[in-house]
Amino acid sequence: MKKVSSDIKKISQIKYQEKSLEYWGPTPDEARKIMVNKSKALKDKRTTLKEAVQEHVKDGINLGIGGFVNTRVPFAAVQEVVRQGVRDLTLSFQSNSICVELLAGAMILDPDRVSIKRAEFAWWGYEIIGIAPLLRYLTTNGLIEVDDYTNYGMSVRFKAAAMGIPFIPIRDHGGSDMELVNKGTMMECPYTGRNVYLVPACHPDVGLVHVSAADMNGNARIFGALCTCPEIAMASTYSIVTAEKIIAEENIRNFPNMTEIPHPAVDSLVERPYGAYPGACYGFHWFDMDHIKMFRAAGEEFRQTGDKTKLKQYYDEYVFGCEDYDDFLEKISYKTLKKLNKLDGGQPIVLT
Amino acid sequence: MAEYSHVEMIAYTGSRVLEDETIVFVGTGLPIVAAAYAQYTHAPGLLMIYEAGSLAPILDMGMPLSVGDTRAGRKATFLKGLCSAFELTQRGYADYAFIGGAQIDMYGNLCSTMQGDDYGKPRVRFPGSGGAGAMAANCEKTIAIMVLEKRRFVKQLDFVTSIGFGDGSPDYREKAGVMGSGPYRVITNQALFGFCEDTRRMKLLEVKPGVKPSDIQDLVEFELIIPSDVKDMKEPSEEDLRILRDEIDKEGYFLKRQVQK
Repeated sequence: MKKVSSDIKKISQIKYQEKSLEYWGPTPDEARKIMVNKSKALKDKRTTLKEAVQEHVKDGINLGIGGFVNTRVPFAAVQEVVRQGVRDLTLSFQSNSICVELLAGAMILDPDRVSIKRAEFAWWGYEIIGIAPLLRYLTTNGLIEVDDYTNYGMSVRFKAAAMGIPFIPIRDHGGSDMELVNKGTMMECPYTGRNVYLVPACHPDVGLVHVSAADMNGNARIFGALCTCPEIAMASTYSIVTAEKIIAEENIRNFPNMTEIPHPAVDSLVERPYGAYPGACYGFHWFDMDHIKMFRAAGEEFRQTGDKTKLKQYYDEYVFGCEDYDDFLEKISYKTLKKLNKLDGGQPIVLT
Repeated sequence: MAEYSHVEMIAYTGSRVLEDETIVFVGTGLPIVAAAYAQYTHAPGLLMIYEAGSLAPILDMGMPLSVGDTRAGRKATFLKGLCSAFELTQRGYADYAFIGGAQIDMYGNLCSTMQGDDYGKPRVRFPGSGGAGAMAANCEKTIAIMVLEKRRFVKQLDFVTSIGFGDGSPDYREKAGVMGSGPYRVITNQALFGFCEDTRRMKLLEVKPGVKPSDIQDLVEFELIIPSDVKDMKEPSEEDLRILRDEIDKEGYFLKRQVQK
């Protein structure tokens, strides 16, 4: 294959450091080797978040984060990661709000406890609520390295990893500045002779995914948008899956077509109702705009004034002031959760 | 004439651009309002794709606040994930992309990544491409919603996030390896733009009644193509506004807001 390029350089004036074509995490060969050496047994994988994070989340890893913006995000798992602390993270995700901002805020408060070295992603913000203040702070001060893709680019990088292939040809990024700054590359297609963009597979060391339901072996169902959760779980060398509900293996066997993540792709399984809160979980609850706004406002105040007081208060109250996620949920009122359940509108899901 | 806000005019104009029995890939906010309004009025067979994975949902719980919102998946005909949604665009199933950006240039390229000249240390960092870059590449036609200001309609983008016609050369998109035909309309509250077929440059199509084409040129840093037959934009009637406010965005999440910076 011949390396080619679009004409982006004719219009771009961006200064950038060319990235070498290497993976920011396990290579496909390394990821395969780990998978091959694992037990594939159908066995009870249930554990606690504390144990799962302790076992898998180490300094320097690529941490893959599931969900989409504030939908079915693995907030409980991320909160436990912050509680235990981890340094030199590479983050990989498509679009996220509060999970990545929670990691960023922890880094701003105490970089010896949590630090992000770099992030490969498509979108980092709060949609209707506003921009992500802590991303803006970290990037404009040059504190993290970033690698920009489209939402398809990041999703399909996980998909390529899930497929066990080293890269995948796609039809976007070309002719934009992402062609210059990211780890993709433009090649001449050997079949059509036309330019086609290749992006590298993305294997997180650890993937965090929240699902609607799973049996104790980790066979998982997801209702509502799948986001890129099945691909992230399959791509990761180790997956920590939190589930709104644990269902019987018999239910999984009755409707095997509904399994979106097969059991060998799950290493640790935690039954964690409201594990996506303050994000939404289709069929269970809607998102809590007020909680998201409160956390964002604390970050925005820091970005604008440099005053960390409110940000620190949030962590003291909701992260470090809680032994675990049950303690955190205890601080969210019953009325709030009841309202969020109602706002879901009773989306039909199948647990039987 | 009925009193309407900037965002109402944008949503109304956006809806006029969308045709019946097509598929529009929508971003959060006004694109959803515009598409829902089109469905309610002249285009009942218009279908939406939301990038978290849904096709043709029914928005009977209210406006989705996010393209991944539970509401955006409700009663869909097909509900998978991001890969699936974007693969529909690569394959040619999406007629329109409906996106926004912080800056746009004369060839319809858009920036939503950063401002400044150094990628490693931007002056301002935006959320990033999200779906926009992929939508602009592979939906057949790109519609952009913009605030009409000189600092946004610029000669030179700080960062090209979503591909338009590049440098305007006829083969720019082909060399970029993208599939869609590119920029189609740019919607603002005071003007509707299209693109010249020969030069691929932005062309003024319609202006708000009472506004002169030269007023629009004054709000744009690059030179617009201004044909002699610039038309007046259609303004929403009382009934149009009632539908927008009382039927489409009942909770006022988007129409009661100012256009986001």
